[in-house]
Amino acid sequence: MPRAATHARRRPWIQDGGHGVQRLGHDVSEIGRSAKSYCEHTARTQPTLSDIVVTLVEMGFNVETLPAYAKRSQRMVITAPPVTNQPVTPKALTAGQNKPHPSHIPGHFPEFPDPHTYIKTPTYREPVSDYQILREKAASQRRDVERALTRFMAKTGETQSLFKDDVSTFPLIAARPFTIPYLTALLPSELEMQQMEETDSSEQDDQTDTENLPLHMSTDDSGAEKENASVLQQNASLSGSRNGEESLIDNPYLRPVKKPKIRRKK
Amino acid sequence: MAERGAHVFSCGYQNSTRFWFPCVDSYSELCTWKLEYTVDAAMVAVSNGDLVETIYTHDMRKKTFHYLLTIPTAASNISLAIGPFEILVDPYMHEVTHFCLPQLLPLLKHTTSYLHEVFEFYEEILTCRYPYSCFKTVFVDEAYVEVAAYASMSIFSTNLLHSAMIIDETPLTRRYLAQALAQQFFGCFISRMSWSDEWVLKGISGYIYGLWMKKTFGVNEYRHWIKKELDQIVVYELKTGGVLLHPIFGGGKEKDNPASHLHFSIKHPHTLSWEYYTMFQCKAHLVMRLIENRISMEFMLQVFNKLLSLASTASSQKFQSHMWSQMLVSTSGFLKSISNVSGKDIQPLIKQWVDQSGVVKFYGSFAFNRKRNVLELEIKQDYTSPGTQKYVGPLKVTVQELDGSFNHTLQIEENSLKHDIPCHSKSRRNKKKKIPLMNGEEVDMDLSAMDADSPLLWIRIDPDMSVLRKVEFEQADFMWQYQLRYERDVVAQEESILALEKFPTPASRLALTDILEQEQCFYRVRMLACFCLAKIANSMVSTWTGPPAMKSLFTRMFCCKSCPNIVKTNNFMNFQSYFLQKTMPVAMALLRDVHNLCPKEVLTFILDLIKYNDNRKNKFSDNYYRAELIDALANSVTPAVSVNNEVRTLDNLNPDVRLILEEITRFLNMEKLLPSYRHTITVSCLKAIRILQKNGHVPSDPALFKTYAEYGHFVDIRIAALEAVVDYTKVDRSYEELQWLLNMVQNDPVPYVRHKILNMLTRNPPFTKNMESPLCNEALVDQLWKLMNSGTSHDWRLRCGAVDLYFTLFGLSRPSCLPLPELGLVLNLKEKKAVLNPTIIPESVANSQEPMNNPNNHGQLIGFQSTEDDHLVKETASSVSVHQQGVKRKADMPLGSPLEPGQIPEKNEDSKVKLKIRFSNSQEEEEIDMDTVHDSQAFIYHHLNMLERPSTPGKEQSSLELNMLPVPAAPLSVFSKESNSSKHSDHHHHHHHEHKKKKKKHKHKHKHKHKHDSKEKEKEPFTFSNSPASGRSIRSPSLSD
Repeated sequence: MPRAATHARRRPWIQDGGHGVQRLGHDVSEIGRSAKSYCEHTARTQPTLSDIVVTLVEMGFNVETLPAYAKRSQRMVITAPPVTNQPVTPKALTAGQNKPHPSHIPGHFPEFPDPHTYIKTPTYREPVSDYQILREKAASQRRDVERALTRFMAKTGETQSLFKDDVSTFPLIAARPFTIPYLTALLPSELEMQQMEETDSSEQDDQTDTENLPLHMSTDDSGAEKENASVLQQNASLSGSRNGEESLIDNPYLRPVKKPKIRRKK
Repeated sequence: MAERGAHVFSCGYQNSTRFWFPCVDSYSELCTWKLEYTVDAAMVAVSNGDLVETIYTHDMRKKTFHYLLTIPTAASNISLAIGPFEILVDPYMHEVTHFCLPQLLPLLKHTTSYLHEVFEFYEEILTCRYPYSCFKTVFVDEAYVEVAAYASMSIFSTNLLHSAMIIDETPLTRRYLAQALAQQFFGCFISRMSWSDEWVLKGISGYIYGLWMKKTFGVNEYRHWIKKELDQIVVYELKTGGVLLHPIFGGGKEKDNPASHLHFSIKHPHTLSWEYYTMFQCKAHLVMRLIENRISMEFMLQVFNKLLSLASTASSQKFQSHMWSQMLVSTSGFLKSISNVSGKDIQPLIKQWVDQSGVVKFYGSFAFNRKRNVLELEIKQDYTSPGTQKYVGPLKVTVQELDGSFNHTLQIEENSLKHDIPCHSKSRRNKKKKIPLMNGEEVDMDLSAMDADSPLLWIRIDPDMSVLRKVEFEQADFMWQYQLRYERDVVAQEESILALEKFPTPASRLALTDILEQEQCFYRVRMLACFCLAKIANSMVSTWTGPPAMKSLFTRMFCCKSCPNIVKTNNFMNFQSYFLQKTMPVAMALLRDVHNLCPKEVLTFILDLIKYNDNRKNKFSDNYYRAELIDALANSVTPAVSVNNEVRTLDNLNPDVRLILEEITRFLNMEKLLPSYRHTITVSCLKAIRILQKNGHVPSDPALFKTYAEYGHFVDIRIAALEAVVDYTKVDRSYEELQWLLNMVQNDPVPYVRHKILNMLTRNPPFTKNMESPLCNEALVDQLWKLMNSGTSHDWRLRCGAVDLYFTLFGLSRPSCLPLPELGLVLNLKEKKAVLNPTIIPESVANSQEPMNNPNNHGQLIGFQSTEDDHLVKETASSVSVHQQGVKRKADMPLGSPLEPGQIPEKNEDSKVKLKIRFSNSQEEEEIDMDTVHDSQAFIYHHLNMLERPSTPGKEQSSLELNMLPVPAAPLSVFSKESNSSKHSDHHHHHHHEHKKKKKKHKHKHKHKHKHDSKEKEKEPFTFSNSPASGRSIRSPSLSD
């Protein structure tokens, strides 16, 4: 097709106004079509000059006049369009190189738009990597969170104060007795458990409940068998201690509870 | 009930099993047992011996646990724990079962995972299998003591459980486990013949526990422990006048009373002060160690093995119960086996340390005689002050010279003070020569600090601690410094650190800093060095150069390389450095500048440590570390500059203190949301707040502490809060708080807390006997008097605590706040009648004797003679003189005091008579209804009889004298009412119990039922009041068999 267009440019009626342009389009496609037919007729795939000449002759053009026409003195030379600084405007907008077409897209399709129009570019500042600042930040952030949280808790609940005249500067969340005080005191808090799992999950983890235990135990290198056995038993004893027979270990506390003898009934 | 973790367990001090079922409650009466407990189906009953079977009752709602204990066991070693326990069979030893309260199973798993190693250790050294066929550990809440050992089971405090993240608790818990197990062999399996043989059992179990410790924690830890125990016993004996391991009570001559220096009797375990008993155990194991030194460890273990194998042979003799006496150990039997096995005569040693109380106090100094090349050592003894005794015998002295370390054995004799020890090395120094140490190591030393004339580097007296002694030894500061740097024994290092406190010089500073940095050095020594360094820095404050002590050291060890003001993220894998990291800030906070303030730099440093503390990557919990950082903040607090008693408000708050308070507030509040293990942080915060109050930065107010002291908080928090209240009581002399405390002593549901309050009051008393105080008034005297005479009969520890407190507050003599005694009451001994002196209202003479010194005489006197009519005070010259005399004579003759001779025949000790006088007299009658009087009389009479039983010949005389001593007045009415009611309730419970439990001796069948449904819970008679929160209340007997 671009080849056809070059031919068209040579046509004298190119400046024929609107009507002429239409005709020109028709003629050009006709030339192309016929030239193709001639070449195929001669069992070739690419049209050659001779094919086009034959076509033109066929269409009634005087081929002989063509070179003369081309070399005419008053020939209008269409200068190459002035190289306007086309890229200048997009340059302000371009954010990076336009992507070339991938191989499956024919080259005639329009180029990709500027990357910024379709590529997600997270915007952030250069990450701080200075250790000292990081530590500093983490520390103050944590402190702020803690302070905010405790203040909030203090504001929403009962408080105690160290100063009689001032209850807001150092608010202490009121002490509240527990029903079972030792549980909170002995069991690790959720946070700690989480940390434990994060830092080290291969080591034995005492905090997980019994369901998770076998999982963890299996990673234990030594005595895993034994551990598992005892876990089984705990499960057995926990789940009602009725199915204690499964246990491999003979411990009186794991044995099933016997049914009362009938004759003992009063 | 099960969801709330309701449980019940037996507890008590010494033989107190009779409180929960009728029995011959003696350690020497053995029998076999069959025990049956019927409990709610959700519960587990854990008791002694083998669980034979568990059977449902026919309604299937309860089950009966059948236990069989075939090894003859004393009733005192029988125990019981019932609760919704989680069961864990020990993965290593299937005959061992662990029990804990719901939800704690993961902790139990971790905590007990070590126990099998203790078993193996004991079985190996004793070459004897564990005597019982099974072993059970039960972890209970609100335990009476941290660990109590009974036949084939031990009851522990649930607070010993910990997870793998906890560092500090792990060794402590393991030690308790090991202690409990040691007592299984000696204490439970082998019982004692009589109370005076107790020391053998405590000694052996403590000794083998020490061996375990040596093996587990290493020689350093073991020696450190021995040193600590030795120091403790020395301090206690010097303070109180001696601990007697093997009291012999013969003849009943009160003048021979071996414990006349004490304010209680040591004839009975139940009259012992708790502190005394702790020290008794401590001394017992130390003496065992002395015996080992004498006869060698091999023989020692052979003796134990012999005792055990005789006992186990005897225990299998089912039908020859006379054989069972082999299972009881006596002092003489033990000594006999020692002489049989070892062939050595240890009688002098026994005489010195067991049959006699007191420790040895050495003062040592030396001079070097250059001409003779002899070390002239002078060792003096102080054997006249209380708690000391004279030592005659060998004494080891180690001298480190330039050419090596040499041991010398000196013979300490009556009159020889000076000892000449020839030196091996010439004083001229061989430069560039390594100096051999005791352990064969050779080291280079910088000898420039030395005295050029003397080859002596350092001298140690009794380095092996083979005498129960205190040594005060004088040597030059450089010698202490050499000793600290180069002596390899941790005890020597610790001694030198303590000695260096007196030498604040740059050289000492350098020596301490070097030790701190040396990683091979025992961590406890390094921790101790921190505190010594702080002290030295304070003494050198004007000449100190460089940054505050330890700061650069800490920075180097624990802070980031790139930013030295930021601490590394926590990594506690190395426990030694963990402990050092914990301790250093605490010691640094003790630094003071020239104005006696904590340097700003140090405070900022500590605040930064808190700020940058980051535990996210750590495998272990940092709660103890954070708690110590708060302690450090508290340590940095100095007294506020007070402008004539202005009220403390926020506005005039010191900016530093504001920062500190900010941290404390945040920590304390965070604890509510994310509680730390054992609430260590709350505990530290409370302590810090009290320090701020005490130093005048924050208004002194006990209200905060009182809320934290309430029942329902974790016990550590309560104790910390109570300690603050006790301190407040002392500083502010608040009668109200004292009453509040004493009220808690009487009513708190947790026995340990009640005991602890008295204990803390004794340690930090609001006033003492020689002090004027507005708190010292009659009502207080009465209250304490009442506490130790009635209402505490079930809890000996508490009663003795009350006695200790009374002694601390008022001493042996009549409290000064009381009206002086009258001489109004005339008693007729022969007719057992008292006659009122018509002129005076009957004010009986009183006895301001230590109340417990001689309970058989005292009990009755105490209550009956006391009166409280201050309005009737009539001071007469004679009574004053009597009073004074009584006081004066106390020291040497505790029980006697003369009165006008004419009155003596008329004295009478019959309490009934007195009682009548008491009641028929004066205004008291209005307050007492006749029933009470009646009951109380009966009770008192009963009491009297009981007390009279253990009395000794010659008592008549002594009690006669006793009568004439001034007695602190206690209002009888209150006393009797209270006692009566308490007795009543006790009785009630007893009755109830008896209903529910039937038990027979071994041939018969034992039926021991313990019903456990509904809310009914019996926590044996210890509970006075209900503890609804834990669901462990004594309800009235709602059901019976």
